[in-house]
Order: sequence, then structure tokens, then C-alpha cells
Amino acid sequence: QSMSLSISPAQTAAWRKQIFEQLNERSKREMENFKHYEQAIEQSVWVKKGTM
Amino acid sequence: MADDKDVLRDVWFGRIPTCFTLYQDEITEREAEPFYLLLPRVSYLTLVTDKVKKHFHKVMKQEDLEEMWFEYEGTPLKWHYPIGVLFDLHASNTALPWSITVHFKDFPERDLLHCPSNSVIEAHFMSSIKEADALKHKGQVINEMQKKDHKQLWMGLQNDKFDQFWAMNRKLMEYPTEEGGFRYIPFRIYQTMSDRPFIQKLFRPVSPDGHTHTLGDLLKEMFPAAIPQDEE
Repeated sequence: QSMSLSISPAQTAAWRKQIFEQLNERSKREMENFKHYEQAIEQSVWVKKGTM
Repeated sequence: MADDKDVLRDVWFGRIPTCFTLYQDEITEREAEPFYLLLPRVSYLTLVTDKVKKHFHKVMKQEDLEEMWFEYEGTPLKWHYPIGVLFDLHASNTALPWSITVHFKDFPERDLLHCPSNSVIEAHFMSSIKEADALKHKGQVINEMQKKDHKQLWMGLQNDKFDQFWAMNRKLMEYPTEEGGFRYIPFRIYQTMSDRPFIQKLFRPVSPDGHTHTLGDLLKEMFPAAIPQDEE
């Protein structure tokens, strides 16, 4: 059986907004206080990083 | 769509702050300081921990160094699961930074695959991509790509290059408008307390009567315990 309903463009827009907000919250929770940590993968090998 | 790209970027640039500590029984020549790193959620542990290995090698003797492996609160961490999956599965309720223990001895053969080089990770990653494309497009997209395109996907992941990766991955995520979605949605549901490593079944993005399935529909069918009761 199918339990799904039709999805309206308004719902899609609301979901998109919600997903984006939740993702932002996660990033904030996980990264905000740890920006001084070293990245595991260096983005540019030729840039010499100073001490932070 | 610009909004979608923002979501893709946020997912790609997700990082887990992690504190690596050497296992207490490892033999060192001097004290091993913990090592702190931001790990990409969308990568593999053994692919992004060269710095950790170097850091601990400095305080250990050559003869005490076997293959490096990781553990969180007694659970060996499977390098072939994406880092974000490992964190969400084992440690999502923990205080940050995520505290991982590093071992160089007593490799848990029963729990972990060996990872002697990055080419093993690459082979695993490419086989996941191929499996997903078999479900999405009967493998047609990945098979039509050239070797250099496959390499671009891998190098994008390895070097954390979002644009390089997505220039190629975009093709793997396309589908004909008239079909309304992939043939099947590639997904896996991981659980910690289970004999099965994961749940993986065929699931179409659109129901036979033409309704678009949601993630909620998928969970209801495959793993109803994941749906909070009060949402019914």
C-alpha cells in the first residue's frame, strides 16, 4: 500500500527551508567552538599556515 | 538550483571536531599528547588521519608500530563507513570534541577491514558509487564515464575539492524528468544494536499511483521504529 500524499510546491519550499535551517544548526553546534582546530585535509598545499 | 547547492555545500563542509588520544597500553618513548583535528563528515577515517599517524609515530619506536586503527568507547571504528555515519551512529550524544582512541597493536581482525593504502579506500569508494548507480540508472551513467572521470570523483573526495567532485557527481544525480526520479533510491539504514550491519532494500522514489515518496515513507516501510510516535 502507499502511505504517501501528493507534495505541494509550498511543502517542498517549507522542507527545503527546514532542512537548510537544521543543517545550519548542526554546523553551528559542531563547528562554532572549534574553528581553531586544524583541518584534516589541507586545502592548499602551497599556503604556509601561521600559528593560530 | 541555488538553494540545493547551498545544502550540498553545507553537507560537504560538515566537520566533526575530534580529539585523538593514544591508547594507554601503547609503549611510548615520551608522553603522547592528544591530537586535535576537524574531520570531514564526508570522508573516511583512514583517508584523513595521516597527521594523527605522524603525530604518534614521533613518540613511538618503529618496532611498536603496526597498522593504525581507531576505537570509540570500546567499539572499533570501521574505516569503510563515512566519518559522519560513524559519529552519528556511535557518538552523536557525546560532548564535543569527539574523543577517539588510537591503537597501533592488536588489530581487531573480526571487526575491521585492513586498510594498507589509500588505493583500498578508493576501491571501496568506487564500488559504493557503482552500486548506487546500478540502483539509480542500472549502472549506465558510471559505465559511460571515462577512467579520468572516475579519478576526478575520487580525487575530489580525497582532496576535499567540492567543485571537482560535484562537476562529476552531478551526472550521477541526474534523471529524466518524465521518470520523476531514479529507478531505485540507494540507501542504507545503519543501527548500532543489531546483528545486521545495515538494512538495504529496493525502494522506488515514486509510488505506483504516481505520488512522490518521502524519506518518511521510506522509514515507515523499512524501519518504522525510527518514526517518533507522537508524529502520528
